[in-house]
Amino acid sequence: MIELGDIISPQTHSLQVWLVVLLLAPIGSFLCSCLLKKSAPIISSGVIGLTTVLSIYLAINNWQIEPTIIKGNWFRIGNSQLTYAMMIDQLMLVMAVVVNFISFLVHFFSIEYMKKDKRKPRYFAFLGIFTFSMMGIVLFHDLLLMFVFWELVGLSSYLLIGFWFEKKSASRAANKAFIVNRIGDLGFITGLMILFTQFQTFDLEAVKTLMVVSEIEDGNWISQFMIQGQEVVSSLDGRWLSAAGIALFCGAVGKSAQFPLQIWLPDAMEGPTPVSALIHAATMVAAGVYLLARIFVLLDAQALEVVAVVGAITAFMAAIAALSQFDIKKVLAYSTISQLGYMVMAMGIGAYTAGLFHLVTHAFFKAGLFLSAGIIIHQLHKLETDDIKFDAQDMRVMGGLRKKLPITFFAFLICSLALVGLPGFSGFISKDAILLDLAVWSDIKGGGFYIPEVLAFATVLFTGFYTFRMILLVFFGEFRLPGITGAKNLGDRLKDGNLNLLLPAIILAVLSFGFAFTGLGFSAESSWLAHALETPVYIVPISYAAQSLVDISEQTFKDLHGLVTVVATGLALVGIVIALISYRPNAKLEQSFIERREPVGMFGQVSFYHWYLDAFYRKFILKFFMLFSQASSWFDRKVIDGIVNLIPKITVISAHLTKWFDRYLVDGIVNLSANLAGRVGQATRSIQGGNVQLYIALSFVFVILLMLYLVF
Amino acid sequence: MGNLLSYIIFIPLIAAAIVLVLPKKLEHSYKWVTLGASGLTLTLAILTILKFDATKTGAISSESTLQLVEKTEWFRISLGSIGSFSVDYFLGVDGINLSMLLLAAIVLFIGVIASWNLKKKRKGYFSLYLLLSSSVLGCFVALDFFLFYLFFEFMLLPMYFLIGIWGGPRREYAAIKFFLYTLLGSILILIVMIGLYNSVYDPVRTGEMAGYNMSSTSIEQIQALVKSGQIETERLVKSFNMIYMADAMNYIPGSVLDNDVIKTVFGQPARWMAFLALLIGFAIKLPAVPFHTWLPDAHVEAPTPISVVLAGILLKIGGYGLIRTAFIMFPDGAYHYSWMIGFFGMLAIIYGALNALAQKDLKKLIAYSSVSHMGFVLLGLAAFTVEGVTGAVYQMFSHGLISSMLFLIAGVIYDRTHDRLIENYGGLSIQMPKFAVFVGIAFFASLGLPGFSGFIAELMVFLGAFKSSHVIGAIPSWMPIVATLGLVLGAGYYLWTFQRMFLGQFWVKSKEWLPEMEDLNTREYLMLVPLVILIIIFGIFPSLLLNLIENGMGGFIEHITASINP
Repeated sequence: MIELGDIISPQTHSLQVWLVVLLLAPIGSFLCSCLLKKSAPIISSGVIGLTTVLSIYLAINNWQIEPTIIKGNWFRIGNSQLTYAMMIDQLMLVMAVVVNFISFLVHFFSIEYMKKDKRKPRYFAFLGIFTFSMMGIVLFHDLLLMFVFWELVGLSSYLLIGFWFEKKSASRAANKAFIVNRIGDLGFITGLMILFTQFQTFDLEAVKTLMVVSEIEDGNWISQFMIQGQEVVSSLDGRWLSAAGIALFCGAVGKSAQFPLQIWLPDAMEGPTPVSALIHAATMVAAGVYLLARIFVLLDAQALEVVAVVGAITAFMAAIAALSQFDIKKVLAYSTISQLGYMVMAMGIGAYTAGLFHLVTHAFFKAGLFLSAGIIIHQLHKLETDDIKFDAQDMRVMGGLRKKLPITFFAFLICSLALVGLPGFSGFISKDAILLDLAVWSDIKGGGFYIPEVLAFATVLFTGFYTFRMILLVFFGEFRLPGITGAKNLGDRLKDGNLNLLLPAIILAVLSFGFAFTGLGFSAESSWLAHALETPVYIVPISYAAQSLVDISEQTFKDLHGLVTVVATGLALVGIVIALISYRPNAKLEQSFIERREPVGMFGQVSFYHWYLDAFYRKFILKFFMLFSQASSWFDRKVIDGIVNLIPKITVISAHLTKWFDRYLVDGIVNLSANLAGRVGQATRSIQGGNVQLYIALSFVFVILLMLYLVF
Repeated sequence: MGNLLSYIIFIPLIAAAIVLVLPKKLEHSYKWVTLGASGLTLTLAILTILKFDATKTGAISSESTLQLVEKTEWFRISLGSIGSFSVDYFLGVDGINLSMLLLAAIVLFIGVIASWNLKKKRKGYFSLYLLLSSSVLGCFVALDFFLFYLFFEFMLLPMYFLIGIWGGPRREYAAIKFFLYTLLGSILILIVMIGLYNSVYDPVRTGEMAGYNMSSTSIEQIQALVKSGQIETERLVKSFNMIYMADAMNYIPGSVLDNDVIKTVFGQPARWMAFLALLIGFAIKLPAVPFHTWLPDAHVEAPTPISVVLAGILLKIGGYGLIRTAFIMFPDGAYHYSWMIGFFGMLAIIYGALNALAQKDLKKLIAYSSVSHMGFVLLGLAAFTVEGVTGAVYQMFSHGLISSMLFLIAGVIYDRTHDRLIENYGGLSIQMPKFAVFVGIAFFASLGLPGFSGFIAELMVFLGAFKSSHVIGAIPSWMPIVATLGLVLGAGYYLWTFQRMFLGQFWVKSKEWLPEMEDLNTREYLMLVPLVILIIIFGIFPSLLLNLIENGMGGFIEHITASINP
């Protein structure tokens, strides 16, 4: 029998110093930014630059390492030793590089982007907190510690979304992000409760080891192991096994903006654009997918189905919403939700490798898109004067920027092609892999499980459309701002940004080409990355386990691959062509769209308002809680406190009654009793008089009476 | 330093006497005397922690588990045929009250700093404050029920005047309400205390009285003799000793609260009724829904330092009392009512949070958040698991620090404008950025962000409460799951308040306030910074506290689960 104490006992490894450095260096960056206000941008960029180098160095040096765990004790509750565990494996190394690298580019970009902001040090300090917390999620291989950093990531997201807190919309968006994330986290906590009750540990490796020896008997989930030599038999209803997976997934639903909690991400665009690139596109929102990858083998068939369906629905809904937005960051936000939906769906169907692969490629091309959009917004902002005010994120004021910002245009275009998933670009490879696995999965499952496939393929079409609609509206046609503001020469001052802005965008654009991940290969099989992230085997008890895609013959995949690639590419092209036709310069739709305040028609409205999800939450859920809280407050004041206040009142009234009774009825008949009653009346009436001695005397009398009652 | 605990109790008392004696000319020295006394008490409390041997294990119902014990007979009154009435001066610490002692010493010290600028009737204020300190500290270390009750009641007096004289506009109403309500609880406790006195005997003294040599006779032998009737009931020496009350063997056969032959009161077993009376008595103090309505009034009207002491320490006496008396003495009753206790805990978490969401007054909001957070104490206790009860104690400790900080924050604003309405402020973080940082820390700590002590406490309560239904069946597993909703509501009311008061454009209701809106001064840093440090330390290194209380809580859970068959 397995002794839990053995598998969670402290372990060290020569690399742990470096991991601690990776984790704590951003805290150093935070402190530097707080203390050295002026040089905060340079120093914090430098620190993150160094950690980037370190993470790349670690990744290259340890690429072939067998998964290694570092452990230590944190604290004990009761019999359970809680530990901190770090995992060194390819997934961790890849994530560490992605997080640090993009964080560094964003720091570098922000030096210029935030140059004029008076709260610059605070901004870089917050970026430091974020990088620290994100690295915590990546490094720790322990559900409790992941949750700790998970929440800290939520905090840094709150701080950065609300960075320009003078704007009401920004502070509201920050609140919304934190609270909606918390709703998901309730699930996470519930998952922790279930796993702790069953296994008495949060150490992921220990949880997995114990899951392997768990059995299902008569619908009960039974795990036997030893703690300090004592045998423990944990037994929960088998349904808790599925529930644990779904509950933990709820955490991912919040953080990775999945249906039905995706409403916070579009609002999160209130934060500075580099922050959107780092947190709300590349890293934090991907944390949910990373969590799913870490608990992948613990998910049972039912939980996985939920994950897959939620992912597919999210991908589709967000793609629809992206079709009609005016705000360039909103388009990118919805596109992010949609792509996250792909990743989550991938995890649900068992396409572990493909999902993580997409996480990495998406991190680069979406960060590239956001940073390019950031350049546009930043340069447009420079045109603003006291007389000329406009919304620099609104695509209706853009147009024709291809000539003004040529380098930005190319960076944006390349990243867009990766997003659409045209062959040769990184997004193609990972999306192709997901869609192929999805096709196989649907074939195995059959029936209603073709719906996710339909949704996912439809999303490819919409992605092509909204991406090119955006490109056409932003970069082609006439520069519309001079016409709108009436300042004719406004466009003359518009030009590409400096190196601080351009370099990160260019680097990310280069990494959006397929060769960065596959060399000369065409699909995921030839990718070094995909090989590193092999799909693990489910370890839940057999009767609960889903069918693993690993067990399907390679021939099945090969047979479908050509078809999937052709259909997906075809759909993407169709989307692009429709966009080209309807939004080419001076096309009817383009013209009417530019003039409109909001889309017309039911479809347009549903798309623009993101399926009215926000309105639903505001009008029903939020309103319900506000009303409920008002009602509770009323109940508290009127009913509970009313009763509390009524008791002395009744006492006073009865005292008066006694007095009246005493004076007019009793008095004169029985002098003695009248006298007594009068005293009682006086005594009770003064309950409200604040006479302390009397209270004490009264209480003793009361006690004596009660004792007499009890005794006799 | 043999009588460490006595020093802790009496130093404030002596200081109170000094303050009373010092002439009005030396008015400025009152606060220094008070500060010195609290500082000394805090030092001694820390010394107690250092002296405490955390590795010592033992049954909760055995005096040998206690440390730093001081026990002498205080007085004995012969009541003729009823027997004699004897009270001990009995102090000691174990894993249950140690953390509370430390908390009280810390909060009382910070309360003095918060009282620094008080101008009105300083002599009365500081002497009452010291009196309050003394009785609060005494309450946590007293192990004789009579002594405990004495300290417990004695708190009311200074508290009544501190609210009633130095409070806000409706201070008299609030003071009376606080006083009457708590008194009502006290009566219930008093009844049970009397019942207990009539049901529990002191095996050591009984043995001595019966002529046994207690150095060679064990307590178990005496207990066996009593059980078999060889020592007659008339010859038993009754006792207020809380440790003896914990041992079911010390109950007099045939007495009201006897464990073996169950007596009934109102058709219910007397022991259950006794538990219920203690539960309600201490639930008023905690306060638990629906006995909580005195709290918002008392908090709103009390001056800042008194709010701090009230939220930081006095509420914890409710939780501590539940553990020390109700749960330990009547574990059978506790188990019988565990569903109800858990339910009211869960209810308090959500109901308190919903009410907090609706408040317009910052202090009221914090008061209701206290109600919500104290719900975790009930939920954790009701779980009957070691995680749950440890979480409950951790929550008391952590809430003591966090709520102190929250009330100090409300005080910072009130000092400047004498107004606490949330809607009268906006964008304060522009004008008072450093203050905003502290408010942010306090709010996030209170809403349970990891890294702060509150998270550890709430996590343990959740884990223990969920585990409960699967190991002991005290409360069903849906209770903690529903209770997690409190976390979202908590984030809701704190962040919303922060948004309204601190974010957006700077704005205050009255122009006259503008010159007052300065950032924190040194005194305010002195009271806030230590709390922040402690909240973070206990959030990151929970073992600092858990190691001290681990064996105590283990013994406690062993004790209360021993009497029930899962």
